[in-house]
Parts: sequence; C-alpha cells; structure tokens
Amino acid sequence: MSAVDDPTAGHPAPGSEPDGSGLPVEAAPIDAETAAAVRAAAPRPDRFRPAAAGWIGRGVVWAALAWVVLCLPGNIASPVSLSATEARGASEAVVFAIIGLSLNVLIGYAGQISLGHQAFVGIGAFTSAFVVTELGQEFWLGVIVAALVGALQALLLGGVALRVTGLYFALITLSYGVMVQQSLFNVESLTGGVAGRDAPLPTGVSSAYGYYYVCLGLLALVLWLDWRLTRTKAGRALLAVRENPRVAATLGIDIRGYTVLAFMVSGFFAGIGGALFAHRDGFVVAEPFTFQLALIFIIMTVVGGLRSRSGVVLGSAFFALMGDGILLKLLRLEGFFENVVKLPSEFVPLVLGPLLLLLTLTLYPGGIGQQVAPVRGWLLGGRFDRHAGAVKEVQVTDVRA
Amino acid sequence: MVLGVSFVDQLSTALVIGVITGGVYALVALGLVLVYKASGVFNFAQAEFGTVAVYAAYAALEFAGLPYGIALLVGVSAGVAMGLATERLIIRPLFDAPRVTLLVATAGVALLVIGVQFWRANDPALRVLAPISNELERVRVFGISVSDQRIVILLVLAATAAGLALFFRSPGGLAVLAASQEPTAAELVGVSVRRVSSLTWGVAALLGSLAGLLSAPISNFSPGFLTAGASGALIPGFTGAVIGGMTSMPGAVVGGLLVGIVESLGGLNALEGIPGARSLLVFASLLVVLLVRPQGLLGRAAA
Repeated sequence: MSAVDDPTAGHPAPGSEPDGSGLPVEAAPIDAETAAAVRAAAPRPDRFRPAAAGWIGRGVVWAALAWVVLCLPGNIASPVSLSATEARGASEAVVFAIIGLSLNVLIGYAGQISLGHQAFVGIGAFTSAFVVTELGQEFWLGVIVAALVGALQALLLGGVALRVTGLYFALITLSYGVMVQQSLFNVESLTGGVAGRDAPLPTGVSSAYGYYYVCLGLLALVLWLDWRLTRTKAGRALLAVRENPRVAATLGIDIRGYTVLAFMVSGFFAGIGGALFAHRDGFVVAEPFTFQLALIFIIMTVVGGLRSRSGVVLGSAFFALMGDGILLKLLRLEGFFENVVKLPSEFVPLVLGPLLLLLTLTLYPGGIGQQVAPVRGWLLGGRFDRHAGAVKEVQVTDVRA
Repeated sequence: MVLGVSFVDQLSTALVIGVITGGVYALVALGLVLVYKASGVFNFAQAEFGTVAVYAAYAALEFAGLPYGIALLVGVSAGVAMGLATERLIIRPLFDAPRVTLLVATAGVALLVIGVQFWRANDPALRVLAPISNELERVRVFGISVSDQRIVILLVLAATAAGLALFFRSPGGLAVLAASQEPTAAELVGVSVRRVSSLTWGVAALLGSLAGLLSAPISNFSPGFLTAGASGALIPGFTGAVIGGMTSMPGAVVGGLLVGIVESLGGLNALEGIPGARSLLVFASLLVVLLVRPQGLLGRAAA
C-alpha cells in the first residue's frame, strides 16, 4: 500500500547512483514504515485547510453517512420505516463486509486467492450453531469458537497447501470448498444433515434491528484488527512478500510463515462472518454454501478494491443488498426493470451484478475504492481530487502464478 | 450400483464410468490449458462457451427447425463468437491487469451468461438436446453399455488433443507461446499479439462449445449446467488440468480422465457411509499430486 509509491521499493540499493552533486545518499531508500508514517499524516494542514464552509459541508456529509449506517437500519430518527426483512438485509450487508475484509487480507495483503471461502464461512456458521444449540452456550462464545476454528482450519489447510502458491493454491482451496460443502456439511452429527441446525438470535437481542448493531460492532472490531495488521511488522512483511518474494526472502522474512498467518487471519474473520450469517437467519443449512457463493465473495472484494478498506466494505455491502433485491426496493427501481427493460426483478441481481462487475474492472481497475477515493480524501479534510486513488500498482503482479 | 457385486467388478465398472465422464472433463481441461498457456489466465468462463453453444443449437433445432448438423454448426459459431467477444471486450482491455483481476473478470463473464440464461431460458428450466445418434449400447465394456454419444466424445477428445499437441510444435503454436512469454519481443519478431490472443480464445471457445454440445444430450440441460451442479465439468476440468500440469495438452487429457475415474471410485460400495466421498477423493488426489509433483503429472518443472 505504501512502499509502492516509493519507486525504489523493489530495488534495495538504487541510492548508489547519485548525480555527482555530492549529496549524501542515505535518504534514498525510504522504508515502508516511514512512507506509512508520512501517509498517516495525509490531511496535511500546512498544505490545505478547508474554509469554515468547507468544514460545514464535510460535517453534513459525515452526519448523513453516520445516519445511514447507525440510524436508518434501526428505524431511529428515520422518516422511512424499514421492515424486519430490510433490517436483516442490512445485517447481511455488514456480514458480507466482514467476509470481504477477510478475503481482502488474503488476496490484497498476501496475494493468494481462496476460491473456497464459502467453506470457511459455512464452517463458521455451523460451528457457532453447534456451540449454541448443541452445547447450550452463549452466542458470544459461539462467535469466538467459530473464529478460532476458522483460523485453525486455515492453519491446517495453509500449512499443507501453501507449499504451492498462486493459481495452484486457488485450485486447492476451490477443491477444498467443494469437498467441505459436499462432504463435511452432510455429516449428520455435526451439521444436522439436510435439516440443518437452529441458530437463535443472541440472548438480549430481540429483533432483527438489534442484531444489526451486533453485526456492526463486530465489523468495527474486524476493521480495527485489519488496520492494526497493516500497521504492524507482520503487515509490512506481507507487503514485502507480495511485492517481491525474493527480496523479502533475502531480508529474512519467512514467506510461507507470513502467508499462512495471513490465511489464518482471513479464516478468523471468515469465521466471525459465518457465525453472524447463521444467527441472522435463525438456522443454518448446507445449501447456500456453494461455489457460486465463493465467486460472489471474490467478486465483491475485487470490485470493492483490494487493499482499500472503505472500498471493500462498500463493495461487499453493495453486492449483499443487490442480491437481496433490497437495493432496488430502496431506490424504487423495480418498476423500471420490470417494465422498461422487461427484466423481472428476481433476475436483476443475476444479470446486473456481473455486468457492473465487468464495467468496474475494465473502467476502474482499482474498484469502488478508486471511485470513492476523491470523496474520501475530501471527507478527511483534503481537496476534492478527481484523480485520487488511481491505481499506480496495476503493473505489480498481484498473484504469482 | 448393484449390491453384492465383487470388488473387482466394481472397480472395473468404476474405471469405465470414470473414463466416460472424464472425457467431458478432459475436453474442458484442454480449453483451460490452451488459454492458460496463451494468456496465463484461469478462464472461469470456459464452460459457459459450452452452454451458449448448447442454447444456440437448441434454438436452431427447436425454434428455427434447422437440421441437426446445421444446428450444431450454429451452436459452435455462437460459442466461438462469445469467446471472441470475451477476448475483445474483457481480456484485451485488461491486458496489463493482475492475474487475479482477470480471474475475477472471467468469473464475471460466466456469472453474466448464467444470469442471462436464467432470465431468458428458465421456462422450462430443464431442456433436452437430441443426441447425435440414438444408439445407447454400441459396445459393452466390463458389462457397462457405452452409447454412441460417449464414443463420439472420446474420439473428439483424442482428435483435438492430438491436434493441439501438434499445433504447439508448429510455428503458429510457437508464436502463441512467444506472445504469452514476451509480448514485446514477440511483436518485434513479427508476431501479432492481438491476433494470437483472438486465435487462442477462439479455439478455446471452440473446445468449450464441443464439450457443451457433446455432453448436453447425455442428460438434460439447464442454465449454467456445465459450470456447476450435477453435470458441472468446470471444476473437475480445472482439477484435471492442474493435475496434468496446466501447460501440457496430453496432461490435460490424462488429468481429466483421472478426475473422472477418481470421482467414480468415490461411488464404490466400500465408501458408501461417507458423505461426499467423490469430492473427498478428488480433493485428496489433487493435494497429493500438487505436493509431490507441483508441476503436475506431465508438466515440466519451471527452471
């Protein structure tokens, strides 16, 4: 994320070719930490400070965003009243955001693709349901166990499979996902077989509205963990591994170790997402955890924009709301598709989702993260820079094949 | 399978069934390997070239009333047209994009096509395409009757695999390899990278169309039937291609057939109590092959 902007990042010692001016060369290799620190101070007040009107404008937008996220789904201070189904859709958007962040750790930070993430989410869902209904424990314990099981299976699978990387690893996860879906999810004693398992709402949460805030709290936790990850030694090591494994290895970075670690963090997040997924519906069955779901997870993450937290959250939420048809309902677009395009509303997400995906990819390779970058910079007190967030690192191979 | 049959009988039965089902996987795997060799892309839309061909042929047969041979031609042209369109509209603009973006893009193409099929052709959901010949029992191997359709699949598979293996030794095939390894250098020696890209995607789409048109008559077909579901061939095809080495044409055929055999071994009576034994076995064999021989069975190790 940061070292890429530094043109010297890939080459450890370019400072040895000064222009003869006799300047000391020690300034040349800006390491990732310094670059990150510089970036952390992004809204530089010495450069640009919005006027009072500018701050008011930003405050209004911030308040509107906070209202949409915090108040609208709970029917608090809201002119429109959302039904319980719509609140459940909002919860799903938050759960998908957690899953998107989980994949972002793996694809965006470690540069490996998982095509079996539906299995991670599904195992999280079944684990939590098992802990709550079979063992009679609390919801919170279910979430924790699900997250730990997610990390554990990532450790087991990654420990074995991450000897191969890139598309080969993707294939192993794909096969793993299919295997888990067809085999593990049909073991009666673990998952309840075809009938599935009950996964009640947490005690103390009585409605779909309340559950939304549970999901939101856990999303905040995941975002915080993700942010901490990128700011630690592990995060910088992963960055180095993704950009150039050979250079990383010569710097003494344990490539496989850190990749497995990223996979474990990804599994941890996916476990949380899975647990929330189960308790949102009240029950969990094996049926939705198909390969198509894994594809949708990857698509929403890439469309969101790898390595852009806000982009991934927006992209995931968009695909969740789109899939439910709730977005169309909220935007009052159902009639348009039914009557003008002759596209029945149940098929809109099937047709429109991939179409939007392809348009995003070909026009904005950085995904939604790129599209919202100007707004984001503006909200953080910068100028409205139309070109902010343009992807400079497309040339870097994201996945080593 | 019949209970009480001896284990050896079961094994030979599984072998025959495996080869028969593996034929379709191998056809899909050939297309995947071709695109991978030429563009380095895992093409998740490969099976959709097949379904597009099947729907086009079905429409030509049922609605336009064309003869069977012409209908197949219409199907193949539709599949190839879709392959060329995919290359022109999606792959070429993303030439410099990371591999993961391209993977997602081809998956997007697949989902879009499946979505359109659900929208336009979901009523009735299940349709039947007539087979090339109605002879269901041309030969019996180990007590399993093999239909003409299955034999045609295996013959087409052998012919295309041999043709492609030869092609990659010809100047044209070398141009494809050159364009994928060093696009700029290839341009300098007079290879049109664009034309090569169109050519490979066209041929890959042709292979996908053949896989679809030949496998659809075996049972009924529905939107996206070749990508997922009971008769899905994309995931087994990928597995076969990787097991075979991802860059080797004979490897793709061997891998595809192997996946078919391993899958049908999962149907043995001895494994009856284990749910999803088929996918368990496939996963295990993929893992073993990749860990013992990461370059695949017939692939060459990277230097």
